[in-house]
Amino acid sequence: MKILQKLLSGLTNPSTRKKVLLIISGSLITAGWATDFFRDSALLFNTFMIGAALVAGLEIARRAWQGLKNRHTNIELLVTIAATGGIAIGVHWEAAAVTFLFLLGGWLEARTMSKTRDTLRELINMAPDTAIVLENESRRELPAREVKKGMLVLVKPGSKIPVDGVVQSGTTSVDESAITGEPIPAEKQSGAEVFAGTINQNGSIRVRATKAGGDTTLAKIIQRVEEAQEEKAPTQRFIERFAQWYTPGIVGLSILSYLWTWNLELALTLLVIGCPGALVISTPISIITGIGNAAKKGILIKGGEYLENAGTISAVALDKTGTLTQGKPKITEFVCLQREKVEADIGKSHAKEELSVVPASDIEGENIPEQVTDLLYWAGMAESTSEHPLAEAILSEVPTSLDLPEPDYFTSHTGLGIEVLHKEKKILVGSTKFLKRQEIVIGDSFVNQIDKLAENGRTTVLVAYDNRLLGGIAIADPMRPEASKMIKQLQKSGVNRIVMLTGDARDTAEAIAKEAGIKEVHAGMMPDQKNDIIHDLQQEGENVAMIGDGINDAPALAAADIGIAMGAAGTDVAIETADIALMSDKLMTIPEALKISKLTLRNIHQNVAIALVTVGALLAGVFMGSVHMAAGMLIHELSVMAVILNGMRLRWI
Amino acid sequence: MTTTKTILRSDDLSCPTCVDNIESSLNQTEGVSQAKVHFNTGRIEVEHDPETVSEDKLLEVVEQSGYEARISQF
Repeated sequence: MKILQKLLSGLTNPSTRKKVLLIISGSLITAGWATDFFRDSALLFNTFMIGAALVAGLEIARRAWQGLKNRHTNIELLVTIAATGGIAIGVHWEAAAVTFLFLLGGWLEARTMSKTRDTLRELINMAPDTAIVLENESRRELPAREVKKGMLVLVKPGSKIPVDGVVQSGTTSVDESAITGEPIPAEKQSGAEVFAGTINQNGSIRVRATKAGGDTTLAKIIQRVEEAQEEKAPTQRFIERFAQWYTPGIVGLSILSYLWTWNLELALTLLVIGCPGALVISTPISIITGIGNAAKKGILIKGGEYLENAGTISAVALDKTGTLTQGKPKITEFVCLQREKVEADIGKSHAKEELSVVPASDIEGENIPEQVTDLLYWAGMAESTSEHPLAEAILSEVPTSLDLPEPDYFTSHTGLGIEVLHKEKKILVGSTKFLKRQEIVIGDSFVNQIDKLAENGRTTVLVAYDNRLLGGIAIADPMRPEASKMIKQLQKSGVNRIVMLTGDARDTAEAIAKEAGIKEVHAGMMPDQKNDIIHDLQQEGENVAMIGDGINDAPALAAADIGIAMGAAGTDVAIETADIALMSDKLMTIPEALKISKLTLRNIHQNVAIALVTVGALLAGVFMGSVHMAAGMLIHELSVMAVILNGMRLRWI
Repeated sequence: MTTTKTILRSDDLSCPTCVDNIESSLNQTEGVSQAKVHFNTGRIEVEHDPETVSEDKLLEVVEQSGYEARISQF
């Protein structure tokens, strides 16, 4: 009794029921062929086959009936009519084969399809369900999505971070691959930003929550990926329109051919191949897998349309600051002046300048030349009053052993430099123009040196103490090390024009372009001028991808055929507006994104070709009389499997 | 009548026609104001009145149409 109950409850579960029906129907077919072989009994053979057709067919008929009840015809209805007709005209084996294969195909396809949905499931599972919240020294466990902004969350080593937030205390390394696709763990200490779904590896940290549940970056990514996978690509829309007419067309053809030839089996065979299976699945399967795989590598593609566009890119426009460069200026060289007083003939003394350039990379630890220390000391003191980006570059290089005094007085000359007083001596830090205006004598050789540095993309900050030029500090925003490799990769993958767009000065831009291997440079651009360049490229017939950091490049990103935003983790604007958002700021993900798009586009074309060729061959075969019901269904199901398996290859690129 | 939105997920969708099967079955169910099935992701969004039709009942309806599904948080 209990076994029977278990069996019955098992039968209400759709996948178990399908499996049971498949096994019964399959054994009946085998039994049928066995009796045919050993006994040569037509009666037994037919009984077994009708039995098999009924077992598998009832499940199909049930769905057909449900469709009819809800007033729409479906594929199951066509198969039911074909199988019933088959039994009626006495082709029992064909009827059994059609129903069995249809059921088997559906089951196999669902199993394989669910694999393509794995990536998404993995992402959803990345978010832990609960968080340990610290309140007045007491701990309490809360569902992760109920954590409020500002709560303090304890994250133990080895556990997943439940919310987006800022590290309050503790240090650790965090595996952020779920968000950025970057496999090397990132070091985190107090003040660092952490994301829900990333894995805290070795230290215990306290995190001040900023976002939880559906607002976290991870949830945004999942939402984005899902929307992208549902977004229909132009090819898919075309195919779906075609499929809409395909099924009624085949039914019409079946009726017509019956009226024409009075051949019922031919008409029924046409019904069997009327399911547009491979065709309707051809595009979605590639897109789900392509977008899913990209998401796993930290590349968010907005949808099928963008994927198709990105697959045909012929020109790439790049922003300089923050994209090709690190966006963080650093000291590159010190220009030091040594003065020796030389007694000249007529009793006048004049200074003989000796110029030396010390690369910043030569300076290590405590072994800093005295002149460099002087430069850093006075420039550091002046810049400590400033919030200019260059000030940060200088201050971060001041050795901790130097105790910078507070200046007694300071004025900032916007765009030029800073003037401070310390113990009644005047210190000037700023551009050549600024120091000249303040009547500081700058020698020709020094000016030449600065010009030479400018050609290499350096901005030099001059330092004067007590109305005397001490020297200069050359600063540059260094290029990302992988920039030239990335440019080469783009060229190799068929992008024939690479253009740099920047608001920066020509000298600096040219220097970076040369280093990266870019020939076309547009410097001194305002955001809307960047836009114009993109339009010009499009006018020249190029498919343009614009790569920027998402916020100040927004108009150009929107104007391009594909807007790619870098370093999007934590910036919702970039995730939401860019066509392709790269979660990390690793440059090599750009060619990777274009490669995935290209391969996915090719995969879509292959799948559509497989589907169309199968349909054409089946139709021809049926009319030539060489394809019957069972074979028709088999080929049809095989083509669906072929399309799914071809699409799944995109998981491993 | 208060409606809530429940998200179900199914791994059983193998052919876009399944979408119609599930959608129409759900839409014919009393208490469901709108059902949307996304084929690519296997996501089923149902707007329903929880008083009239519970989440478990929704799962049952989907099962009756021949597909297994589960309730998902997002």
